[in-house]
Amino acid sequence: MTDDLKDGCTFSRGVHPPESKHLTEDRPIEPGPAVGELSILLSQHIGAPCQAAVMKGDLVEAGQRIGECQAFVCAPAHAPVAGKVKELALKPHPVLGRCQAITIEAQDPTPPSLPSFDLPADFDPARYKPDEICEAVRDAGLVGMGGAGFPTSVKIQPDAKPPKHTLLVNGCECEPYITCDYRIMLEWTDQVLAGIRLAQRACGASKVFIGIEDNKPKAIEAMSAAIARAGSTGDIRVVPLQTKYPQGGERQLINAVLGRTVPTGGIPPMIGVVVINVATAAAIADAVLYNRPLTHRVVTVTGEAIARPGNYYVPIGTPVEALIEFCGGVTEKSAKVVMGGPMMGLAIADLTTPITKTGGAVTVLTRHQIGQAKFERRQTACIRCGRCLEVCPENLNPTRIAHAVKSNLLDVAESHFIGACIECGCCSYVCPANIELTGYIKTGKIFLARQRKKMPA
Amino acid sequence: MLKDITVSFAPHISQPLSTRRVMIDVAVGLLPAMAVAGIYFRIHALLLIGTCVIWCAATEWVCNQIRRKPNSLGDFSAVVTGIILALSLPPGLKLWAAAIGSVVSIVVGKMAFGGLGANVFNPAMVGRAFLTASFGVMMTTWTVPASIDAGMPELSSDDTVDTRTQATPLAWSKTAIKDKDEAKTYSSRLLFSTVTGEVAGSLGETSAIAILLGGAYLLWRKTIGFHIPAAVLGSAFVAAAIAYLVNADAYVQPFFHLTSGALLFGAFFIATDPVTAPLTRRGMWLFGIGVGTVTMVIRILGEYPEGMMFAVLLMNAVTPLIDRLCKRIPAGGRPHA
Repeated sequence: MTDDLKDGCTFSRGVHPPESKHLTEDRPIEPGPAVGELSILLSQHIGAPCQAAVMKGDLVEAGQRIGECQAFVCAPAHAPVAGKVKELALKPHPVLGRCQAITIEAQDPTPPSLPSFDLPADFDPARYKPDEICEAVRDAGLVGMGGAGFPTSVKIQPDAKPPKHTLLVNGCECEPYITCDYRIMLEWTDQVLAGIRLAQRACGASKVFIGIEDNKPKAIEAMSAAIARAGSTGDIRVVPLQTKYPQGGERQLINAVLGRTVPTGGIPPMIGVVVINVATAAAIADAVLYNRPLTHRVVTVTGEAIARPGNYYVPIGTPVEALIEFCGGVTEKSAKVVMGGPMMGLAIADLTTPITKTGGAVTVLTRHQIGQAKFERRQTACIRCGRCLEVCPENLNPTRIAHAVKSNLLDVAESHFIGACIECGCCSYVCPANIELTGYIKTGKIFLARQRKKMPA
Repeated sequence: MLKDITVSFAPHISQPLSTRRVMIDVAVGLLPAMAVAGIYFRIHALLLIGTCVIWCAATEWVCNQIRRKPNSLGDFSAVVTGIILALSLPPGLKLWAAAIGSVVSIVVGKMAFGGLGANVFNPAMVGRAFLTASFGVMMTTWTVPASIDAGMPELSSDDTVDTRTQATPLAWSKTAIKDKDEAKTYSSRLLFSTVTGEVAGSLGETSAIAILLGGAYLLWRKTIGFHIPAAVLGSAFVAAAIAYLVNADAYVQPFFHLTSGALLFGAFFIATDPVTAPLTRRGMWLFGIGVGTVTMVIRILGEYPEGMMFAVLLMNAVTPLIDRLCKRIPAGGRPHA
């Protein structure tokens, strides 16, 4: 079954940005700061936003469901701490700009305690019915924690067509700086494995591959050891992958591990594959075995401008400001605060932006670093050197698309398949003329979406 | 805490690479050819290169002033254009003619289209084509290398009658090949000369070794891809081999074509100009094959002994068409509408 796999496989093209993971990779997961006020955004996932289930002034318990959802593709929200609902208001959102949020005033602001997880000795995923798993996962409000935020219950539901034959677990963490998934694989190994088994049981996949880049040998070792300990039946395997960005993109991961290509505009289930992140797997185990909703997550706070970088276990809704302060504040040099990593993360303007279910990192970059990045350096004319074409993992023509968008020729951009762009940022990263190709392409996509929906600007 | 923070699109880091770095790399790649030119053509070489670089840079500056655009000399593209133009000129060319060529290169070849990145034709080749059309005799008078003829005229001397000139290897092969006995002995000696560069020809094109050295540097720096040089040289070799096989008496052997004339220089330094070459790899192959084939058609069938310049200009003109033909299809295939 695994004969056609070779170690150190990868996808074609891509880039090798400096990894910068040394700042936090040896820092164990620690409890984050005690926060007095948390803002739970009602849209932390792909799909319909949830509806507030509480009113201003209500008292809430820790773990209580405060955001309900009726839609199929949706995930409920829960209160991470006990307290009082202070207000329902618009709060800064890293992607949407502003979004409805429930602000909770903590009753008793204490630092969060790391969750205990003891795998029952007689744990057997076969004892759980797929529907039960999906329901527990949905009730816990699980979404893909790697960044995209697609509701996990929808992903792993059993009755979809075509049948899902392969479960791919994403432990690549190809973004520079971020180490939260790495620490989870090292420290919560059994929990991750239990979650993988449960997801496998739910979606009915016969094969499981765990893709980990070879710059994380300890994680590869830990996961392999856990599989051996659990007496694996041979249907699960760790696949070491060559370190390259954007390996953790699900289309690239599928290509690297299985050698298959997801059709343009399609999703992995179309070729019978489900991809979940290791952090999500850990959360699945929490949800199914302990009925714990997704209210906390591990966040890497990092960057050369951070005094005390590390991996912290924090309640969702913690403002970025509080996290940065907890890590010793920032130094003079800091110039850009990014939610996520430097390649795909979103620069935020408002430091009260709360941590979401999908935000695995806060990266603070120095003035010097972004001096090297596109923003401050002057953009020069495209010399058609073709470097963006050479690195584009989706085999697109970034300069053509970007310049079409720039000239407001959206039909030309579409004829060069703008919709197939995964926004990984490789083209902007290599461009010698400092053109923000990815930025233009993202803008073009927004324009096109508006055009289609006849949305007002 | 944080007073002013920057917000922009991802990615927030970038490779330390700039257009200037790319252009400097090309200039470094041209160093061996410039050095060999200096050895064989002495002060002529240095003065020609200097004249072209200074006039190209000055013209670009003036154009930017007139267009009220920011100064673009910092990208060093004008310097590269100047060097390439100089290296493609006959060593004995009058400096005023070189200056005119430089001005035409920048004004007509580049700035008229809107500056770097917007030009359709290779600026240096535009300048050279203008000189060929305007000063036909001067552009086909080839001074012999100083090592062959120590009596090379001083620059102060205005007396062109004394200048020792020689036919270029290609011109020789076109006319003298009929004299078979002489041809047999002479061609092997000449082939060796075209490798070292001790032969008449344009400043930078004579030495195959120097060009290959510079080309290897560009390939190593990933400033150019191997596609265009490989396609140009491969297709030229095939065309020359076909001609040789058809009539070995009328045409020289194919290796001779590879090392002589501007073919090598053009394959590595002129046809690879990213602005005027196609973007996709498939397009680069097509473009390179076009340049190589057209060059050989001109050399073998045409009136001119050398056809590199015309081949590059011709293929530059069809580059937009090639780009259109060789559209990139996403890795996941065409989306189903």
